[in-house]
Amino acid sequence: MKPLTISGFITAILLIALSIYVVEDLPAFGDENSPVNKYVKLFNVDADGLVESLNAGILPLQIKIKIEDMGFNKEENYPTLEEGNYRIEWSEKGSFEGGRLSEGGWDVLINEGEIFYNELIRYYFIKEENRNLTVYRYNFPVRINELTEEETATINIVTAGLADYRGYDTMGEETVILTGAIGVILLLRRRGRL
Amino acid sequence: MTQEKRAYKRDVVIEVTASLMFPFILLFGLYVMMGTGGTGGGFQGGTILATGFILYITVFGTDKGREKMPESVNVFFKSFGLFLYNGAGWLCILFSLATAQWLNMPAFWPVTEFTGIAGARGFLIAYMISVGIGLTVMASFVSQYFDLSMKEDDEMDGDEG
Amino acid sequence: MMEWLIQHVLEKYNFWIAMLIIIIGLTATIVKENLLKKLIGLSIFQTAMFLWFVSLGDVGRNILTTWGLKTGTPPILWEQAAEKGYIYVNPLPNVLMLTGIVVSAATTAVALAIVIRIYQKYGTIEEDEIIEKEKEFERVGG
Repeated sequence: MKPLTISGFITAILLIALSIYVVEDLPAFGDENSPVNKYVKLFNVDADGLVESLNAGILPLQIKIKIEDMGFNKEENYPTLEEGNYRIEWSEKGSFEGGRLSEGGWDVLINEGEIFYNELIRYYFIKEENRNLTVYRYNFPVRINELTEEETATINIVTAGLADYRGYDTMGEETVILTGAIGVILLLRRRGRL
Repeated sequence: MTQEKRAYKRDVVIEVTASLMFPFILLFGLYVMMGTGGTGGGFQGGTILATGFILYITVFGTDKGREKMPESVNVFFKSFGLFLYNGAGWLCILFSLATAQWLNMPAFWPVTEFTGIAGARGFLIAYMISVGIGLTVMASFVSQYFDLSMKEDDEMDGDEG
Repeated sequence: MMEWLIQHVLEKYNFWIAMLIIIIGLTATIVKENLLKKLIGLSIFQTAMFLWFVSLGDVGRNILTTWGLKTGTPPILWEQAAEKGYIYVNPLPNVLMLTGIVVSAATTAVALAIVIRIYQKYGTIEEDEIIEKEKEFERVGG
Protein backbone atom coordinates (compact mmCIF):
# COMPACT_ATOMS: atom_id res chain seq x y z
CA MET A 1 0.00 0.00 0.00
CA LYS A 2 1.04 3.57 -0.41
CA PRO A 3 2.67 5.35 2.51
CA LEU A 4 -0.08 7.99 2.63
CA THR A 5 -2.76 5.35 3.31
CA ILE A 6 -0.74 3.84 6.14
CA SER A 7 -0.27 7.22 7.78
CA GLY A 8 -4.01 7.85 7.48
CA PHE A 9 -4.77 4.63 9.37
CA ILE A 10 -2.27 5.49 12.09
CA THR A 11 -3.83 8.96 12.51
CA ALA A 12 -7.33 7.53 12.86
CA ILE A 13 -6.27 4.96 15.46
CA LEU A 14 -4.36 7.58 17.46
CA LEU A 15 -7.33 9.92 17.49
CA ILE A 16 -9.71 7.18 18.69
CA ALA A 17 -7.33 6.25 21.53
CA LEU A 18 -6.96 9.91 22.51
CA SER A 19 -10.72 10.40 22.63
CA ILE A 20 -11.25 7.42 24.93
CA TYR A 21 -8.56 8.77 27.21
CA VAL A 22 -10.04 12.26 27.32
CA VAL A 23 -13.75 11.50 27.66
CA GLU A 24 -13.75 11.07 31.43
CA ASP A 25 -12.96 14.72 32.08
CA LEU A 26 -15.60 16.27 29.90
CA PRO A 27 -18.90 17.65 31.24
CA ALA A 28 -22.13 15.88 30.39
CA PHE A 29 -24.25 17.26 27.59
CA GLY A 30 -26.84 19.73 28.80
CA ASP A 31 -25.70 19.81 32.40
CA GLU A 32 -26.68 23.05 34.11
CA ASN A 33 -24.14 22.82 36.87
CA SER A 34 -21.04 21.89 34.91
CA PRO A 35 -17.94 24.13 35.29
CA VAL A 36 -18.52 25.64 31.87
CA ASN A 37 -22.00 26.87 32.63
CA LYS A 38 -22.56 27.69 36.23
CA TYR A 39 -20.14 26.79 38.97
CA VAL A 40 -16.95 24.99 39.85
CA LYS A 41 -16.87 22.69 42.87
CA LEU A 42 -14.27 23.51 45.49
CA PHE A 43 -14.49 21.23 48.54
CA ASN A 44 -16.68 19.41 51.10
CA VAL A 45 -16.95 20.17 54.79
CA ASP A 46 -18.80 18.44 57.63
CA ALA A 47 -21.80 20.45 58.77
CA ASP A 48 -21.79 20.18 62.53
CA GLY A 49 -22.61 23.58 63.91
CA LEU A 50 -22.04 25.68 60.87
CA VAL A 51 -25.62 26.06 59.64
CA GLU A 52 -26.60 28.43 62.46
CA SER A 53 -23.71 30.77 61.80
CA LEU A 54 -24.54 30.79 58.09
CA ASN A 55 -28.11 31.71 58.85
CA ALA A 56 -26.91 34.53 61.05
CA GLY A 57 -24.82 36.00 58.25
CA ILE A 58 -21.27 35.12 59.27
CA LEU A 59 -18.96 32.84 57.34
CA PRO A 60 -17.51 30.17 59.68
CA LEU A 61 -13.77 30.01 60.26
CA GLN A 62 -13.23 26.51 58.91
CA ILE A 63 -14.55 27.42 55.46
CA LYS A 64 -12.65 30.68 55.41
CA ILE A 65 -9.29 29.09 56.21
CA LYS A 66 -9.78 26.37 53.64
CA ILE A 67 -10.68 28.86 50.93
CA GLU A 68 -7.56 30.89 51.60
CA ASP A 69 -5.42 27.79 51.61
CA MET A 70 -6.60 26.90 48.13
CA GLY A 71 -5.12 30.11 46.75
CA PHE A 72 -7.99 32.57 46.78
CA ASN A 73 -6.24 35.10 48.99
CA LYS A 74 -5.24 38.75 48.90
CA GLU A 75 -1.89 38.39 47.14
CA GLU A 76 -3.45 37.01 44.01
CA ASN A 77 -6.16 39.69 43.83
CA TYR A 78 -9.03 37.69 45.22
CA PRO A 79 -11.40 39.22 47.78
CA THR A 80 -10.61 38.85 51.49
CA LEU A 81 -13.44 37.40 53.50
CA GLU A 82 -13.36 39.55 56.60
CA GLU A 83 -16.34 40.89 58.49
CA GLY A 84 -18.22 43.57 56.61
CA ASN A 85 -16.85 42.70 53.18
CA TYR A 86 -19.53 40.23 52.27
CA ARG A 87 -23.19 39.44 52.68
CA ILE A 88 -24.96 36.10 52.84
CA GLU A 89 -28.35 35.54 51.26
CA TRP A 90 -30.60 32.52 51.15
CA SER A 91 -32.28 31.56 47.86
CA GLU A 92 -34.92 28.90 47.68
CA LYS A 93 -35.08 25.93 45.38
CA GLY A 94 -36.80 26.74 42.10
CA SER A 95 -36.60 30.50 42.39
CA PHE A 96 -35.35 32.33 39.39
CA GLU A 97 -32.76 35.05 39.64
CA GLY A 98 -30.70 36.53 36.87
CA GLY A 99 -31.44 33.96 34.22
CA ARG A 100 -30.74 30.79 36.15
CA LEU A 101 -32.71 28.36 38.29
CA SER A 102 -31.30 28.09 41.77
CA GLU A 103 -31.25 25.09 44.06
CA GLY A 104 -31.64 25.83 47.72
CA GLY A 105 -28.49 27.33 49.19
CA TRP A 106 -26.65 30.31 50.50
CA ASP A 107 -25.08 32.94 48.20
CA VAL A 108 -22.03 34.86 49.34
CA LEU A 109 -22.04 38.35 47.81
CA ILE A 110 -18.94 40.54 47.86
CA ASN A 111 -19.43 44.25 48.49
CA GLU A 112 -18.29 47.08 46.29
CA GLY A 113 -14.71 48.16 46.09
CA GLU A 114 -13.18 44.85 47.11
CA ILE A 115 -11.97 43.54 43.78
CA PHE A 116 -11.59 45.09 40.37
CA TYR A 117 -15.30 45.32 39.55
CA ASN A 118 -16.73 48.17 41.55
CA GLU A 119 -20.09 46.64 42.30
CA LEU A 120 -21.97 43.98 44.21
CA ILE A 121 -21.06 40.58 42.80
CA ARG A 122 -22.06 36.99 43.55
CA TYR A 123 -19.01 34.95 44.31
CA TYR A 124 -19.46 31.75 46.32
CA PHE A 125 -22.33 29.30 46.71
CA ILE A 126 -22.82 26.92 49.62
CA LYS A 127 -25.20 24.00 49.49
CA GLU A 128 -26.17 21.44 52.10
CA GLU A 129 -26.72 17.77 51.31
CA ASN A 130 -26.29 14.60 53.39
CA ARG A 131 -24.84 16.42 56.38
CA ASN A 132 -22.09 17.92 54.22
CA LEU A 133 -21.63 21.48 53.15
CA THR A 134 -20.33 21.83 49.61
CA VAL A 135 -18.73 25.09 48.55
CA TYR A 136 -18.88 26.18 44.91
CA ARG A 137 -17.56 29.21 43.05
CA TYR A 138 -19.55 31.03 40.40
CA ASN A 139 -18.35 31.34 36.85
CA PHE A 140 -18.63 34.18 34.31
CA PRO A 141 -21.96 33.42 32.59
CA VAL A 142 -23.84 34.17 35.82
CA ARG A 143 -22.54 37.71 35.87
CA ILE A 144 -23.06 38.27 32.15
CA ASN A 145 -26.70 37.24 32.20
CA GLU A 146 -27.51 39.56 35.08
CA LEU A 147 -25.71 42.74 34.14
CA THR A 148 -25.85 43.08 30.36
CA GLU A 149 -29.03 45.15 30.30
CA GLU A 150 -27.62 47.66 32.79
CA GLU A 151 -24.20 48.24 31.33
CA THR A 152 -24.98 48.24 27.63
CA ALA A 153 -28.47 49.05 26.46
CA THR A 154 -28.75 45.99 24.20
CA ILE A 155 -30.66 42.80 24.83
CA ASN A 156 -28.57 40.72 22.44
CA ILE A 157 -25.88 39.17 24.65
CA VAL A 158 -23.85 37.71 21.77
CA THR A 159 -23.45 41.05 19.98
CA ALA A 160 -22.66 42.82 23.24
CA GLY A 161 -20.00 40.23 23.97
CA LEU A 162 -18.45 40.57 20.50
CA ALA A 163 -18.55 44.33 20.11
CA ASP A 164 -18.26 45.66 23.63
CA TYR A 165 -16.66 43.27 26.10
CA ARG A 166 -14.38 41.72 23.48
CA GLY A 167 -14.09 44.72 21.21
CA TYR A 168 -10.35 44.61 20.64
CA ASP A 169 -10.44 41.01 19.42
CA THR A 170 -12.96 41.89 16.73
CA MET A 171 -10.84 44.86 15.72
CA GLY A 172 -7.97 42.56 14.87
CA GLU A 173 -10.34 40.11 13.20
CA GLU A 174 -11.43 42.71 10.65
CA THR A 175 -7.82 43.26 9.64
CA VAL A 176 -7.53 39.53 8.97
CA ILE A 177 -10.53 39.63 6.62
CA LEU A 178 -9.09 42.57 4.69
CA THR A 179 -5.72 40.80 4.42
CA GLY A 180 -7.47 37.80 2.91
CA ALA A 181 -9.02 39.96 0.20
CA ILE A 182 -5.67 41.65 -0.55
CA GLY A 183 -3.97 38.25 -0.75
CA VAL A 184 -6.35 37.04 -3.44
CA ILE A 185 -5.85 40.25 -5.41
CA LEU A 186 -2.07 39.92 -5.35
CA LEU A 187 -2.13 36.29 -6.46
CA LEU A 188 -4.57 36.43 -9.32
CA ARG A 189 -4.47 39.73 -11.13
CA ARG A 190 -2.28 40.06 -14.19
CA ARG A 191 -0.91 43.26 -15.56
CA GLY A 192 -3.28 46.04 -16.49
CA ARG A 193 -6.59 44.33 -15.91
CA LEU A 194 -8.62 46.09 -13.25
CA MET B 1 -16.95 41.53 -30.53
CA THR B 2 -19.90 42.95 -28.73
CA GLN B 3 -21.59 39.65 -27.92
CA GLU B 4 -19.88 37.35 -25.48
CA LYS B 5 -19.90 33.57 -25.79
CA ARG B 6 -21.82 31.71 -23.13
CA ALA B 7 -21.32 28.17 -22.00
CA TYR B 8 -25.05 27.65 -21.39
CA LYS B 9 -28.30 28.78 -22.93
CA ARG B 10 -30.22 31.69 -21.51
CA ASP B 11 -33.27 30.83 -19.46
CA VAL B 12 -36.01 33.33 -18.80
CA VAL B 13 -37.23 31.83 -15.51
CA ILE B 14 -33.83 31.92 -13.80
CA GLU B 15 -33.03 35.44 -14.94
CA VAL B 16 -36.36 36.91 -13.84
CA THR B 17 -36.21 35.15 -10.46
CA ALA B 18 -32.69 36.35 -9.73
CA SER B 19 -33.36 39.93 -10.69
CA LEU B 20 -36.51 39.96 -8.55
CA MET B 21 -34.90 38.40 -5.46
CA PHE B 22 -31.83 40.62 -5.50
CA PRO B 23 -33.22 43.80 -3.81
CA PHE B 24 -35.13 41.85 -1.15
CA ILE B 25 -32.05 39.94 -0.07
CA LEU B 26 -30.18 43.24 0.26
CA LEU B 27 -32.99 44.71 2.37
CA PHE B 28 -33.08 41.68 4.67
CA GLY B 29 -29.31 41.82 5.11
CA LEU B 30 -29.50 45.46 6.13
CA TYR B 31 -32.20 44.60 8.69
CA VAL B 32 -30.14 41.80 10.21
CA MET B 33 -27.03 43.99 10.39
CA MET B 34 -28.54 46.59 12.71
CA GLY B 35 -30.09 43.97 14.94
CA THR B 36 -29.34 44.78 18.53
CA GLY B 37 -32.99 44.87 19.45
CA GLY B 38 -33.18 41.21 18.53
CA THR B 39 -31.09 38.67 16.70
CA GLY B 40 -28.32 39.79 14.40
CA GLY B 41 -24.95 41.41 14.33
CA GLY B 42 -22.18 42.61 12.10
CA PHE B 43 -20.81 39.35 10.71
CA GLN B 44 -24.19 37.79 9.99
CA GLY B 45 -25.58 40.83 8.14
CA GLY B 46 -22.44 41.25 6.08
CA THR B 47 -22.55 37.70 4.73
CA ILE B 48 -26.22 38.00 3.82
CA LEU B 49 -25.46 41.14 1.81
CA ALA B 50 -22.61 39.34 0.05
CA THR B 51 -24.97 36.46 -0.80
CA GLY B 52 -27.24 38.76 -2.77
CA PHE B 53 -24.41 40.02 -4.93
CA ILE B 54 -23.01 36.54 -5.50
CA LEU B 55 -26.40 35.30 -6.70
CA TYR B 56 -26.61 38.11 -9.24
CA ILE B 57 -23.09 37.51 -10.53
CA THR B 58 -23.61 33.75 -10.88
CA VAL B 59 -26.72 34.14 -13.02
CA PHE B 60 -25.75 37.05 -15.22
CA GLY B 61 -21.99 36.72 -15.67
CA THR B 62 -19.13 38.88 -14.50
CA ASP B 63 -19.54 41.66 -17.07
CA LYS B 64 -23.05 42.56 -16.01
CA GLY B 65 -22.12 41.99 -12.38
CA ARG B 66 -19.38 44.62 -12.71
CA GLU B 67 -22.02 47.24 -13.46
CA LYS B 68 -23.71 46.62 -10.13
CA MET B 69 -20.50 46.77 -8.13
CA PRO B 70 -17.75 48.67 -9.95
CA GLU B 71 -14.18 48.53 -8.79
CA SER B 72 -14.03 51.96 -7.16
CA VAL B 73 -17.17 51.36 -5.07
CA ASN B 74 -15.76 48.02 -3.91
CA VAL B 75 -12.50 49.55 -2.75
CA PHE B 76 -14.37 52.37 -1.03
CA PHE B 77 -16.54 49.98 1.00
CA LYS B 78 -13.60 47.84 1.99
CA SER B 79 -11.60 50.69 3.43
CA PHE B 80 -14.53 52.66 4.86
CA GLY B 81 -15.65 49.80 7.07
CA LEU B 82 -12.15 49.32 8.43
CA PHE B 83 -11.79 53.07 8.95
CA LEU B 84 -14.95 53.29 11.08
CA TYR B 85 -14.07 50.51 13.48
CA ASN B 86 -10.32 50.88 13.69
CA GLY B 87 -10.60 54.64 14.03
CA ALA B 88 -12.84 54.29 17.08
CA GLY B 89 -10.64 51.60 18.58
CA TRP B 90 -7.33 53.40 18.21
CA LEU B 91 -8.82 56.64 19.53
CA CYS B 92 -9.88 54.77 22.65
CA ILE B 93 -6.45 53.27 23.17
CA LEU B 94 -4.85 56.67 22.68
CA PHE B 95 -7.12 58.62 25.00
CA SER B 96 -7.14 56.14 27.84
CA LEU B 97 -3.37 55.46 27.55
CA ALA B 98 -3.89 51.71 26.95
CA THR B 99 -5.55 50.92 30.26
CA ALA B 100 -9.20 50.65 29.23
CA GLN B 101 -11.14 47.42 29.64
CA TRP B 102 -13.75 48.06 26.95
CA LEU B 103 -14.07 50.59 24.18
CA ASN B 104 -14.01 53.62 26.43
CA MET B 105 -15.25 56.18 23.93
CA PRO B 106 -18.37 57.23 25.88
CA ALA B 107 -16.19 58.74 28.57
CA PHE B 108 -15.38 61.80 26.50
CA TRP B 109 -18.17 61.88 23.94
CA PRO B 110 -20.77 64.68 23.91
CA VAL B 111 -23.67 62.24 23.38
CA THR B 112 -23.33 60.85 26.90
CA GLU B 113 -24.85 63.96 28.40
CA PHE B 114 -28.23 63.03 26.94
CA THR B 115 -28.40 59.29 27.35
CA GLY B 116 -25.91 58.26 29.99
CA ILE B 117 -23.04 55.82 29.60
CA ALA B 118 -25.24 52.76 28.96
CA GLY B 119 -27.10 54.43 26.13
CA ALA B 120 -23.88 55.67 24.58
CA ARG B 121 -22.40 52.19 24.58
CA GLY B 122 -25.55 50.86 22.97
CA PHE B 123 -25.35 53.53 20.29
CA LEU B 124 -21.72 52.66 19.62
CA ILE B 125 -22.47 48.94 19.27
CA ALA B 126 -25.49 49.29 17.02
CA TYR B 127 -24.49 52.04 14.62
CA MET B 128 -20.76 52.28 14.41
CA ILE B 129 -19.30 48.85 15.06
CA SER B 130 -21.87 46.65 13.34
CA VAL B 131 -21.95 48.83 10.21
CA GLY B 132 -18.18 48.84 10.05
CA ILE B 133 -17.89 45.08 10.31
CA GLY B 134 -20.74 44.45 7.86
CA LEU B 135 -19.40 46.65 5.07
CA THR B 136 -15.89 45.20 5.24
CA VAL B 137 -17.11 41.60 5.23
CA MET B 138 -19.47 42.19 2.29
CA ALA B 139 -16.94 44.00 0.13
CA SER B 140 -14.12 41.57 0.72
CA PHE B 141 -16.22 38.46 -0.01
CA VAL B 142 -17.59 39.98 -3.25
CA SER B 143 -14.11 40.98 -4.36
CA GLN B 144 -12.76 37.49 -3.70
CA TYR B 145 -15.59 35.96 -5.73
CA PHE B 146 -14.89 38.27 -8.67
CA ASP B 147 -11.21 37.34 -8.72
CA LEU B 148 -11.77 33.62 -8.50
CA SER B 149 -14.29 33.51 -11.34
CA MET B 150 -12.95 35.97 -13.87
CA LYS B 151 -12.06 34.41 -17.23
CA GLU B 152 -9.28 35.86 -19.34
CA ASP B 153 -9.79 36.81 -22.98
CA ASP B 154 -6.41 35.89 -24.37
CA GLU B 155 -4.75 32.73 -23.12
CA MET B 156 -1.31 33.17 -21.58
CA ASP B 157 0.37 29.78 -21.32
CA GLY B 158 2.72 28.77 -18.53
CA ASP B 159 3.96 32.20 -17.57
CA GLU B 160 6.46 33.13 -14.94
CA GLY B 161 5.07 32.71 -11.47
CA MET C 1 -18.91 -1.97 32.35
CA MET C 2 -22.57 -1.07 31.89
CA GLU C 3 -22.23 1.89 34.20
CA TRP C 4 -19.19 3.21 32.33
CA LEU C 5 -21.10 2.90 29.07
CA ILE C 6 -24.13 4.80 30.32
CA GLN C 7 -22.22 7.51 32.05
CA HIS C 8 -19.52 8.20 29.54
CA VAL C 9 -20.99 7.26 26.19
CA LEU C 10 -24.72 7.84 26.37
CA GLU C 11 -24.68 11.15 28.20
CA LYS C 12 -21.90 12.69 26.16
CA TYR C 13 -23.12 11.80 22.72
CA ASN C 14 -22.26 15.24 21.32
CA PHE C 15 -18.58 14.50 21.81
CA TRP C 16 -18.74 11.18 19.99
CA ILE C 17 -20.62 12.51 16.99
CA ALA C 18 -18.28 15.48 16.62
CA MET C 19 -15.23 13.23 17.03
CA LEU C 20 -16.44 10.98 14.21
CA ILE C 21 -16.65 13.91 11.81
CA ILE C 22 -13.24 15.19 12.97
CA ILE C 23 -11.64 11.83 12.21
CA ILE C 24 -13.25 11.73 8.77
CA GLY C 25 -12.05 15.26 7.93
CA LEU C 26 -8.50 14.79 9.16
CA THR C 27 -7.86 11.50 7.38
CA ALA C 28 -9.30 12.99 4.18
CA THR C 29 -6.74 15.79 4.40
CA ILE C 30 -3.88 13.34 4.80
CA VAL C 31 -4.81 10.48 2.50
CA LYS C 32 -6.21 12.04 -0.65
CA GLU C 33 -3.87 13.16 -3.42
CA ASN C 34 -6.01 15.64 -5.30
CA LEU C 35 -5.44 19.16 -4.00
CA LEU C 36 -9.11 20.18 -4.06
CA LYS C 37 -10.14 17.12 -2.06
CA LYS C 38 -7.62 18.04 0.59
CA LEU C 39 -9.22 21.46 0.91
CA ILE C 40 -12.66 19.93 1.29
CA GLY C 41 -11.36 17.71 4.10
CA LEU C 42 -9.89 20.73 5.88
CA SER C 43 -13.22 22.56 5.71
CA ILE C 44 -15.09 19.54 7.14
CA PHE C 45 -12.59 19.35 10.01
CA GLN C 46 -13.00 23.01 10.94
CA THR C 47 -16.80 22.83 10.88
CA ALA C 48 -16.88 19.84 13.23
CA MET C 49 -14.61 21.66 15.69
CA PHE C 50 -17.01 24.60 15.82
CA LEU C 51 -19.95 22.24 16.33
CA TRP C 52 -18.37 20.57 19.33
CA PHE C 53 -17.31 23.77 21.03
CA VAL C 54 -20.71 25.41 20.70
CA SER C 55 -22.47 22.30 22.00
CA LEU C 56 -20.59 22.60 25.29
CA GLY C 57 -22.79 25.52 26.26
CA ASP C 58 -26.20 23.93 25.78
CA VAL C 59 -28.25 23.77 28.94
CA GLY C 60 -31.24 21.74 30.03
CA ARG C 61 -30.93 18.68 27.86
CA ASN C 62 -30.68 15.19 29.35
CA ILE C 63 -31.12 12.06 27.32
CA LEU C 64 -32.10 9.86 30.25
CA THR C 65 -34.86 11.94 31.83
CA THR C 66 -36.30 14.25 29.18
CA TRP C 67 -35.34 12.25 26.07
CA GLY C 68 -33.20 15.17 24.89
CA LEU C 69 -36.19 17.30 23.93
CA LYS C 70 -36.18 20.12 26.44
CA THR C 71 -33.60 22.88 25.94
CA GLY C 72 -32.89 26.44 26.96
CA THR C 73 -33.82 29.57 25.06
CA PRO C 74 -31.34 31.54 22.89
CA PRO C 75 -29.30 34.14 24.77
CA ILE C 76 -31.50 37.16 24.06
CA LEU C 77 -33.06 38.71 27.13
CA TRP C 78 -36.84 38.75 27.28
CA GLU C 79 -39.07 39.41 30.22
CA GLN C 80 -41.36 36.39 30.29
CA ALA C 81 -38.51 33.94 30.72
CA ALA C 82 -38.70 34.10 34.51
CA GLU C 83 -42.41 33.32 34.66
CA LYS C 84 -42.33 30.35 32.32
CA GLY C 85 -39.21 28.84 33.77
CA TYR C 86 -36.76 28.98 30.86
CA ILE C 87 -33.01 29.05 31.27
CA TYR C 88 -30.70 30.99 28.98
CA VAL C 89 -28.11 29.11 26.97
CA ASN C 90 -24.48 29.96 27.79
CA PRO C 91 -23.51 32.83 25.46
CA LEU C 92 -19.72 32.54 25.74
CA PRO C 93 -18.97 29.67 23.28
CA ASN C 94 -21.07 31.35 20.57
CA VAL C 95 -19.13 34.59 20.95
CA LEU C 96 -15.73 32.92 20.72
CA MET C 97 -16.55 30.81 17.68
CA LEU C 98 -18.03 33.55 15.47
CA THR C 99 -14.65 34.95 14.58
CA GLY C 100 -13.34 31.47 13.91
CA ILE C 101 -15.98 30.85 11.26
CA VAL C 102 -15.05 33.96 9.31
CA VAL C 103 -11.33 33.18 9.57
CA SER C 104 -11.93 29.74 8.05
CA ALA C 105 -13.84 31.29 5.14
CA ALA C 106 -11.03 33.75 4.37
CA THR C 107 -8.39 31.01 4.58
CA THR C 108 -10.32 28.81 2.14
CA ALA C 109 -10.47 31.66 -0.38
CA VAL C 110 -6.70 32.24 -0.31
CA ALA C 111 -6.05 28.50 -0.60
CA LEU C 112 -8.28 28.31 -3.69
CA ALA C 113 -6.32 31.16 -5.28
CA ILE C 114 -3.07 29.22 -4.71
CA VAL C 115 -4.57 26.11 -6.33
CA ILE C 116 -5.52 28.14 -9.42
CA ARG C 117 -1.94 29.41 -9.77
CA ILE C 118 -0.52 25.89 -9.41
CA TYR C 119 -2.82 24.70 -12.19
CA GLN C 120 -1.73 27.52 -14.46
CA LYS C 121 1.93 26.63 -14.02
CA TYR C 122 1.96 22.81 -14.01
CA GLY C 123 -1.20 21.75 -15.82
CA THR C 124 -2.48 19.22 -13.25
CA ILE C 125 -3.73 19.16 -9.70
CA GLU C 126 -2.65 15.64 -8.73
CA GLU C 127 0.16 15.66 -6.26
CA ASP C 128 2.43 12.87 -7.60
CA GLU C 129 2.46 14.33 -11.11
CA ILE C 130 3.48 17.70 -9.71
CA ILE C 131 6.37 16.07 -7.83
CA GLU C 132 7.57 14.36 -11.03
CA LYS C 133 7.47 17.58 -13.01
CA GLU C 134 9.38 19.35 -10.23
CA LYS C 135 12.12 16.71 -10.41
CA GLU C 136 12.34 17.13 -14.19
CA PHE C 137 12.70 20.88 -13.79
CA GLU C 138 15.60 20.37 -11.42
CA ARG C 139 17.33 17.88 -13.71
CA VAL C 140 17.03 20.01 -16.81
CA GLY C 141 18.21 23.09 -15.00
CA GLY C 142 15.11 25.14 -14.16
